[in-house]
Amino acid sequence: MANISTSAKFRDAIAPDTSLKSALHKHYLRNQRWGFMWALWTAILWGAWYVPGTALWSEFPYVDIAADQQSLRLAATAVMTWVHAITVFLFLLLWNAVLGKVKDYGRTMVRFKTISKWYALASLCGGPLAIFGSYMAMGFIGPVFAAISSLFYPVIGAIIARLWYKEKISRRAAIGMCIIIFGGMIIYGPGLFGEMNESNPNAWLGYLGGIMSAIGWGTEGAVAARAMDVSDPDVGIHCRFSFEILFWGILILPALALLTDLPIAALVINTVTHSKAMLWILLAAACHAYCYTAFYKSFSLIGVGRGEAIGNLYAVFALIFIAAFTLQFPQWYFVLGLIFTVLGSFVMFSESAESIANLRDIDQPGAH
Amino acid sequence: MKLHQKGYLLITLSRSGSLWDYDLIKRALHEYSESGAFREKTLNIALDELSAAGLINRIEQKLETDGNQSKLRFKYKLSDFGISRMVDTGLLLP
Repeated sequence: MANISTSAKFRDAIAPDTSLKSALHKHYLRNQRWGFMWALWTAILWGAWYVPGTALWSEFPYVDIAADQQSLRLAATAVMTWVHAITVFLFLLLWNAVLGKVKDYGRTMVRFKTISKWYALASLCGGPLAIFGSYMAMGFIGPVFAAISSLFYPVIGAIIARLWYKEKISRRAAIGMCIIIFGGMIIYGPGLFGEMNESNPNAWLGYLGGIMSAIGWGTEGAVAARAMDVSDPDVGIHCRFSFEILFWGILILPALALLTDLPIAALVINTVTHSKAMLWILLAAACHAYCYTAFYKSFSLIGVGRGEAIGNLYAVFALIFIAAFTLQFPQWYFVLGLIFTVLGSFVMFSESAESIANLRDIDQPGAH
Repeated sequence: MKLHQKGYLLITLSRSGSLWDYDLIKRALHEYSESGAFREKTLNIALDELSAAGLINRIEQKLETDGNQSKLRFKYKLSDFGISRMVDTGLLLP
């Protein structure tokens, strides 16, 4: 009896501590799951984006532009990226209106010198560099090349995040990232040979576009996180697209229209008045708006390196969506690549929730 | 124009030394004339993000029981890294 009473007392004494520990673990686990879930949504929507993104090139006014009309094709890419960015902005406005964050968007935008300038820089990396580069890769070589070239962006993002603000990249996270990239290479590598055409004189523009997309998206995450440290991710992505619209609409497109004889105005008018082109842009923008929202939200919970690496699963989803819409089923090696990408994701997810609770390698006395 | 919400949370912590999350959230809701569980949750997520980024530290935690539900509460304090990021982003003067 005495023993039971003692053990009951002992249980009472440790119970609050145990339940606090258990509550803490649940809290960190929930944040980790949300972070990975947002990153997974990034991958799903990014994969879906490749379908309308590629289909747009098959519609008027873009379908009439021959492959050897190099400058016109670039101008068309600039126009479609601008119209796409405006549509993304509208979807984000809807998102932030529902979340009640439109006022916070205004409050963040006006602090340009200290905060929103980072979103402006992120928009340069993710817009003119990455999205434009990706459209170039799609247009000058093909969608498979566009997808594979972007696979390396998490490495760039993780390195910059590590050097710039000491983001913790554990060995497990690094191994997981490498396995995911390897899986993506297996999925897309063999298909690349079918897309490579030695007689294509403008292929180098496609390669350049591929490199631009990898550097652009990798850098964007790290740059945006500078501002996201002190501002909201939903608001941050809205700021980022506001600046992208301004870059294209006030600087690049007017400069192209004034300094060259490229038909910029005609391309804009033909795009916005052609319902099929606008339908693809609308679908691409819906995917991209919420893909990017999920992307930024994952950064603040699991870090830039992990968010970008899980986002790389877009390689798998892009093929699944392409198969669903075109009935072109992937080759057998897709399954092998899929196994590697899923394995890499699990390796990353197997990090302890507590270790992800602090993303930076800085002293946190008494912190959890 | 009012400060953006994460900026307000950081400034309030820098002025108060350390604060429990419910106190910080109460002040933020009052500042922005907001109310409701959704807004509270949004602010709690903002605190989680600030903590994950290392700008604020959790210096104490407790379980509060409200009927059948128990809520985990954190006491936050601005970190040195948070102070330097606030200076970088114009929220604090150097």
